[in-house]
Amino acid sequence: MTCTLGEVKNRADFIVYWGGNPAECHPRHFTKYTLMQKSRFLPRGRKDRTMVLVDIRETKSVKAADVFLQVRPGKDFELITILRAMIKDQPISDAQLAETGLTREQLQDFVTRMKAAKFGVFFFGMGLSMTRGKHMNSAALLTLAAELNAFTKFVAMPMRGHGNVTGADVIMRWQTGYPFGISFNRGYPRYNPGEFSTVDVLVRGDTDCNFIIGADPGATMPKPAIEHLASVPTIVLDPHVTHTSKLARVHITTAPAGISAPGTAYRMDEIPMPLRPALESPYPSDEEVVRRIKETILKKPDWMGERPQMLTSQVG
Amino acid sequence: MNKIKLTLREAPKVVLESEVITPDRFLDQSNEEIRASVVYHGKRQKRLDDFFDVDGERSDHIDIHGDLTRVRHIGRGMTRGSVTIHGDVGMHLGAMMSGGAIEVHGNAGDWVGGEMKNGKIHIHGDAGQQVGAAYRGSVIGMRGGTILVDGDAGIEVGMRMRRGLIVIGGAARDFVGLQMKGGTIILCGGAEIRTGAWMQRGTIVSLKQLALMPTFAECGAFNPTFLNVYARHLDQLGIKLPYAEEQGRYLRYSGDRGVPGKGEILIWEPVG
Repeated sequence: MTCTLGEVKNRADFIVYWGGNPAECHPRHFTKYTLMQKSRFLPRGRKDRTMVLVDIRETKSVKAADVFLQVRPGKDFELITILRAMIKDQPISDAQLAETGLTREQLQDFVTRMKAAKFGVFFFGMGLSMTRGKHMNSAALLTLAAELNAFTKFVAMPMRGHGNVTGADVIMRWQTGYPFGISFNRGYPRYNPGEFSTVDVLVRGDTDCNFIIGADPGATMPKPAIEHLASVPTIVLDPHVTHTSKLARVHITTAPAGISAPGTAYRMDEIPMPLRPALESPYPSDEEVVRRIKETILKKPDWMGERPQMLTSQVG
Repeated sequence: MNKIKLTLREAPKVVLESEVITPDRFLDQSNEEIRASVVYHGKRQKRLDDFFDVDGERSDHIDIHGDLTRVRHIGRGMTRGSVTIHGDVGMHLGAMMSGGAIEVHGNAGDWVGGEMKNGKIHIHGDAGQQVGAAYRGSVIGMRGGTILVDGDAGIEVGMRMRRGLIVIGGAARDFVGLQMKGGTIILCGGAEIRTGAWMQRGTIVSLKQLALMPTFAECGAFNPTFLNVYARHLDQLGIKLPYAEEQGRYLRYSGDRGVPGKGEILIWEPVG
């Protein structure tokens, strides 16, 4: 359940940042969308909104928050599950609450505020989605947001970092039905994170060639994945020299998108933004390179062979 | 007994998807037909005998030898017969199977018995993640049958399982019985954190102390009568489950209250 930042700006009177530090990582988020803006429904701007920050340590964002909940590291999933129980008036003992590092008063106040809100939003960052539990931590917060809709309007939205990561998800989704972790080896898309997601495939070394566009896995991924990138032919399309391009067999320099190449970027709420290039570049755009590679590949014989080749007994 | 013997000549470079290796298919196929079975080496269609030496024909007993770490989907949807694997095996072993038996003398990959309905899988080594789990987007995981893992297992054992039995001999990792709706998981070597998270129904029995979720409620200690019966059933599978009062008792925890659910976690507490 999600919405656009325009809706947040105009309607959200209760904002929760969970496991993120927007004051430093998304510095314009407060002023443009979540806190400072006045609207028809929130005429007094900041005074009409409540902001709660949930994090494991005090960051610069604490100053902007009305309520700061310092959760014990690695206890986000437990805390969200307790909140799920509390909104349904299930009994939870004080000893169990203490495990999260918060008091009953703090949590009861948080639950009351959430239920009393007219339009609540959870923004969750890497502190939630990249710590132990990973996708289940995000799933927990999304479930809590869904369950709060029994009382009031509530949505959840991930705080996306880097350039156009949302765009990659959005495009994969409308092209294939799945956002990431997709295999096309049978001629149709199959989705299974853990089996087909990039980091798992590279760690196991299941590829014999890698084609990387505008990403730098060589800087972020675990060591076995990086070793595998170096051991098989890797092709990188990037405007800059990166950790990955140093490992790669081929590095094609491309024009930086949004500066020298036109295109569409997706904002974190999945709103497409057209980009107009400001400077000229001697290098081709990513799109042109990929198109020319595709044209060359199309001249080769079809690899798919006989159709259909569905995985048998997939259902039933 | 007439058997089909497959021997892997050399380990494939990329993933080999070989859902054709099932007793149901090989039962009425000649040696030549088995050799010509289509497997997928990455995106390319290949013949089974490009990778395996095939001995025997027309049997629902299959013996496989070699390092099958990159060979996936063996025994997918099988309903009868047996598959014996001497070596490690890749993902989705016995996924969606509804009968027969699989035995692995080695380690197995992720999704062992994913969404299986019936039958038996025995892994003598370690298993990967999502043993007997539901596939992404699916509401119900394992619906019946038995999975025995002698070694350790990864995260999300029995995720969303509905019925059936999973026994982990070694240690399991996080999220055992995540969102489980029924069935039984027995943990002989304990588990890491978040065991039974979001469970609705079902039973998790642990012979070692567990770090439980804060949303589980303590419900006293006792020796459940059904465990006497269950222990006798498990005895036939070679698993010793303690139940006698003079040996100890089970602490019962109920949850997960976040759902809210009525699942139970039984933790063995020996005397003394």
